[in-house]
Amino acid sequence: MASEGELGRKWDRCMADSAVKLGAGFALGIVFSVIFFKRKTWPIAFGSGMGLGMAYSNCQHDFQSPYLLHGKFVKVS
Amino acid sequence: TVAAFHSFRFVIKGSLAGAAVYVAYDQGLLGSGTQGAEALKKAQAALPPAIQEWTSYIGWEVRTARTNTLPPTPKFDFSPSDSWNKGVQTVMSALSVAPTRACEYTVEGWKYVKDLVK
Repeated sequence: MASEGELGRKWDRCMADSAVKLGAGFALGIVFSVIFFKRKTWPIAFGSGMGLGMAYSNCQHDFQSPYLLHGKFVKVS
Repeated sequence: TVAAFHSFRFVIKGSLAGAAVYVAYDQGLLGSGTQGAEALKKAQAALPPAIQEWTSYIGWEVRTARTNTLPPTPKFDFSPSDSWNKGVQTVMSALSVAPTRACEYTVEGWKYVKDLVK
């Protein structure tokens, strides 16, 4: 697996995930707008924005791995 | 009874909204990047048969001219990074030959003008 190919695959995953999250946020925003908020526009914008934000966070995590270290404290008894 | 109706309506609305959120979560639409990419691939794989089913249900059938059978369902296989890289390579190679081509076109244009003026 070539390393420059790995970067391309990460970008592809990021774009696909962004499309999915934007679509899901938009759809859920429509659902909430129709059900709870009397068909106002702002829940749709809010849902789309949340979807984009989640996608950005996932992309950031994907690009920064494996240099992101997850650690936890272990008590030595 | 009005209050009961309102609370019943609120329960129905809450259930619908909760069901929508749960379906989104269950399909992996709200998870990690890998899950989202897999969900998109599943949707892309499911789309052509669904389109074919709907068009045959409505009554539109597309047949190829020669064999008179339905064409194979198109597969969506789009890679943004491959398309971007191809685009960058095309633009860079065009820019690299641009000065040479510009000289050639200038020489040809000058020759054409000279022939016109003669």
